[in-house]
Amino acid sequence: MRMEDVWLRYGRRGSWVLAGADLTLGAGEVAIVLGRNGAGKSTLLQVAAGVLPLSRGAVHDRPPTVGWVPERFPADQPFTVRTYLEAMAAVRGLKSAATEIERWAERLAFGPHLDERLSNLSKGTAQKVGLAQALLVPPGLLVLDEPWEGLDAQTREEVPDIVTELIATGGTVLVSDHRGEMARLPGASMWHLDGGQISPAKVASTRRWVVEVAVAAADPSAAVARLHAAGHEILGVREGVRR
Amino acid sequence: MTALVLMRLRGYAVTGRVLAPLLAGLVVLGTLYGGGQAQVGEAYGVSAAVLLPVLAWQTKMLLDVEPDTQRRLAAIGVGSPVRECCCGLLAAGAAAVPVVLLAMMAPWILNGIAGPQYPSDLSLGAGMALGVWAHALLVPPAIVIGAWSSRAVTRTAGTGVTVLVAGTVGVVILGLQSSPVPWLAPPVLAVARFCERGGSWQALAMLTVWAVFWTAGAVVGYGALRRVRR
Repeated sequence: MRMEDVWLRYGRRGSWVLAGADLTLGAGEVAIVLGRNGAGKSTLLQVAAGVLPLSRGAVHDRPPTVGWVPERFPADQPFTVRTYLEAMAAVRGLKSAATEIERWAERLAFGPHLDERLSNLSKGTAQKVGLAQALLVPPGLLVLDEPWEGLDAQTREEVPDIVTELIATGGTVLVSDHRGEMARLPGASMWHLDGGQISPAKVASTRRWVVEVAVAAADPSAAVARLHAAGHEILGVREGVRR
Repeated sequence: MTALVLMRLRGYAVTGRVLAPLLAGLVVLGTLYGGGQAQVGEAYGVSAAVLLPVLAWQTKMLLDVEPDTQRRLAAIGVGSPVRECCCGLLAAGAAAVPVVLLAMMAPWILNGIAGPQYPSDLSLGAGMALGVWAHALLVPPAIVIGAWSSRAVTRTAGTGVTVLVAGTVGVVILGLQSSPVPWLAPPVLAVARFCERGGSWQALAMLTVWAVFWTAGAVVGYGALRRVRR
């Protein structure tokens, strides 16, 4: 997939969110888009998925089957999880989806919620449903907008495995991340979105030190974001007791 | 595409929003036929005209049930935003069918039909045929007006309601006999007048062409707006 000189703004008088963005992704490749809040990561991902119209530019060679996991799953719908996934599978042309739905429900640990209404789900469970709907039919391009947001630890660990399986079959994966979780996807190319343009993220290639830092349990994500903003690479986050 | 049409119809039905326009339609038809009897052509001509705002409202409600992000997921699912757009219009068309059938049965249930009294009056069969034609002609413009007022196009609830009301009132005002630009609106009142008074085959053909061209133009405009508003 090739995004070529992509420009986009919301409304004729709006400022440009994307201003000449270029990005090329090959089969079996994972790209992570980094950037501050409001930089336009979600917009870029929606352009890649084909759901936002471009003001200028073009996206070439987008795979025919796209899976998009939005940053916030639209849970305000009058369906149960099962009926929603069955309907989305049918929309995607999957005739008998029961097995696939059960498989993803088990893998993403939302099986007990299959007959609950979407509007009653917690944020994390709704996010899992969002992930499942994108994967019911194996996508040639998987677009994950902050995929770790709201997920429990078990499912967070599952995401890299899903990505790895997909790229092994020639799929392409585009991920946005502002919480420094990209260490979970080793081998991914990293891009920085700023001022509407994409450039390779600066990751120091010289020798580095690994410093273990303990942060207050109250708000580890803020600490991760601060460290990330300061240019440090986050290799992992885990629970632990201070020694 | 059928799956997305069914998904939208199901979503519309289970939210219960289906009841509001349906009840409004019943009230309008009850008032219309409760007032006395009319010739079948006249009754159906007026019925088709008063259904326009009801069906436009129903279309808006049906399209607005789906959250914006889900609409984008649906576009990915069916493979293109154009197909997603068509599925919305098709779902609205399918939802209009029971309302139209109810409207066509209502005058018989409410004893609102008088048989032909003079030789110049249309027979029941001809009046029925005219009624089917009038409803078939005016349902598509009603759906397009509703689609123009949907959240996907208008973004906010206030603008949506404004477009819906302005659209349906505009149809009446622009359709008055004294209007200098009647062709700006679909021929709702012209069809009602034709059903009441009768007319030539040429007039019938002209009204048909007028409605088809107006609908086609409005659909193209809707498509152009949805191209940039997804």
